[in-house]
Amino acid sequence: MEVSKDIETLLDTLESGHIILDGDYKVTFWNRWLCINTQIDKRDILGKDLFEIFPSIDAAILKRKIATSFLLSTPTFYDSNRKEPLIPIKRNKVTSGSLEMMQQQVTISPCNMEQKAVMINIYDISEVHEAKILLARQMKKVKALNTLLESQQDLIDKNIIMARVSLDGTMVDVSSKLCNFFGYEKEELLGEKISLLGSSKIPEGIFSELWSRVLGGESWSGELANLTKKHELKWVLLKIDPVFDGDGKLKEFSAFYSDITNKKLLEELYIRDPLTKIYNRAHFDKHFNSLFGDQRKTSTPSALVIIDIDHFKKINDTYGHQTGDEALIVVASILEHSIRSEDMVARWGGEEFVMLLKNVSKDEAIEIAQKLRSKIKEANFASSLTLTCSFGLTLFGSSDDPIESFKRADDALYEAKNGGRDRVVFK
Amino acid sequence: MSFAFNEDQLDILREVMNISLGETTANIAQLLGAFGTMHIPEVDIISSKDLQAFIGRDLSPKEDYHVTKQLFSGHFGGEVIFIISKESSLNLAKNMFQAPTTTEDEINDSVMELTNIVTSTIVSRLAAELDVTVQFFAPTSAIMKCVEIVDEEVLSYSTVIVLKTIVDFQDENIVGNIFVLTKDEAIQKLKDLLDKKLEELFA
Amino acid sequence: MIKYILRRFKLKILVVDDSKVARKYILRSIASIGIEAEFREAENGQEALSAYKEERADVVFLDLTMPIMDGYEALREIIAYDKDAQVIVVSADVQSEAKLRVLKDGAKNMYPKPISDEKMRTIFAEDIV
Repeated sequence: MEVSKDIETLLDTLESGHIILDGDYKVTFWNRWLCINTQIDKRDILGKDLFEIFPSIDAAILKRKIATSFLLSTPTFYDSNRKEPLIPIKRNKVTSGSLEMMQQQVTISPCNMEQKAVMINIYDISEVHEAKILLARQMKKVKALNTLLESQQDLIDKNIIMARVSLDGTMVDVSSKLCNFFGYEKEELLGEKISLLGSSKIPEGIFSELWSRVLGGESWSGELANLTKKHELKWVLLKIDPVFDGDGKLKEFSAFYSDITNKKLLEELYIRDPLTKIYNRAHFDKHFNSLFGDQRKTSTPSALVIIDIDHFKKINDTYGHQTGDEALIVVASILEHSIRSEDMVARWGGEEFVMLLKNVSKDEAIEIAQKLRSKIKEANFASSLTLTCSFGLTLFGSSDDPIESFKRADDALYEAKNGGRDRVVFK
Repeated sequence: MSFAFNEDQLDILREVMNISLGETTANIAQLLGAFGTMHIPEVDIISSKDLQAFIGRDLSPKEDYHVTKQLFSGHFGGEVIFIISKESSLNLAKNMFQAPTTTEDEINDSVMELTNIVTSTIVSRLAAELDVTVQFFAPTSAIMKCVEIVDEEVLSYSTVIVLKTIVDFQDENIVGNIFVLTKDEAIQKLKDLLDKKLEELFA
Repeated sequence: MIKYILRRFKLKILVVDDSKVARKYILRSIASIGIEAEFREAENGQEALSAYKEERADVVFLDLTMPIMDGYEALREIIAYDKDAQVIVVSADVQSEAKLRVLKDGAKNMYPKPISDEKMRTIFAEDIV
């Protein structure tokens, strides 16, 4: 097939390779791009058999593709991902490049049916191919990282007690460890409020403090008493962190729990009286002393009440120590259940108890003491025992002296005892 | 825009596909030196979100498939997807290269060859029957699981016409699925071409 | 020309194809070359066989790919029923092996779809008596 001068000029301007073969596979046209890239001049190839010049070309495949293109009268193609190029051409890239040889897109188009002339077109797709390889490599890395991430998430899920909580307190996700710790199935917890895990032992004040902090975008941590599904008490150190979305807006919370039940129980041992289970003297002293010395605070006064069971020695001797002990437990219980959450009651001695009433006036303190006195007097004890108590109380402020304040209450008690017992005295 | 086709339009589309497939099968038969079983082609008009499920219907989720895609354009344009199992592609390569073992390049080449024939014949014939001309683009080929065949982003257009046929050379253990897909405006153009044909026929 | 004049009586023609359009093609083609005929249509091989048994057709145009009973089986059944049946197979399947099979099974000839008017003339001139 003869190529006119115009067409030859046109094909020579193209940035791609174009070969025309006749029916005997002899090269009748070889464009400029090919001359430059293969270093083979037109003169050296025109009229020659393509397969002789390029023995690396699989002749059977090319011949078949040519035949197919004539059969269908449409172009046929080589796979662009092919590792072996049709005509090996070296790339000129110096600065980078994972590809040394040009990656080619080869199409075969029938030119002239009668003469069986066919055009082979070669396009350089090295850049695209390089990008493909790079992308594949990155994807491999991403996959590896994802696998790592998944295994880490699995680790967290199995070992850390945590929950993802929405802004209104609903649990959106919980770890397996959390489920195990609290004894629930995952489905039972999702969609429920996180307060489900709480207990009545948690003071009211804590929640409002907690929510105002975290809704303000700050972290909060504190010790709380929580309940498992089986109503087992567990002490936890709860830490709540805010989670922000990409725009810096508060999205949700992460709640982390540490089991401090054992630590707490140990603590309680130190500060509790083993018999009555209320606070012991050591704990009271510590707390009492801490209320003093703050000159800045001009707070309302608090009351210190010392309670002593009347004729306790005689009760022990008459009814036995067991009854005596049970009496102590009952009195302690009455005292403890009467106080408000900001108050404190403790066992100070063998038959002595102390009470701290916060923010009360003299009359209020006396009223409370009288009420307790009657309650104890009317209470039923074992072995048809009845007993009474003497009360000595005083008011104090933070600027007062602890020793002096205590002595005043003690003096009041002494007066109560001497005055006939079963009474309340204020000093 | 309603993309519903009436009975007559579906019928003539099926018939045109049938004729195209006949020529395709004959061409492949010549290539392989075997006899192919003809199947009734399926014409479906589905929403793009059902496309993945539709294509994956006869495929197994764990298997690797050789998937070749080729675009064509012209008065009406679209995409041809040719899906062949790894096993079929091996048998195909063995047949074409007349050898017991084949390299990856040879397998890819064979599948490309087959896809060439399938796409060119079906679409050319389709175009000829509808009296239009089309142009083909270079095909792309990859090995993938059936869930990867349809890109998740495909929901940008709404309706797809799927013309499904099967290339069945059971004796050679070579079986493949052919899907010819067109969408949106191309569907309307296809309808118009079909109506023209129906007019000539029932005039 | 003479053959056509001799044939100017109504032929009974059975057209079998699952596609209405394909059947229409054939009807139209036959009509356009001037043949007057009584047409019966069937959608698959089974319907074709019952139709043929009900009333013998002079010519049967038979498609190959059909549901329920395909053309290959229908051909064998019709020939088994009537060894002189004149069956022309019209199919999209253009493989040479397909043609060999149907000729062997008793078809008068086989043509690819769609049949042009010219081809139709040849059919009535040469393949059918």
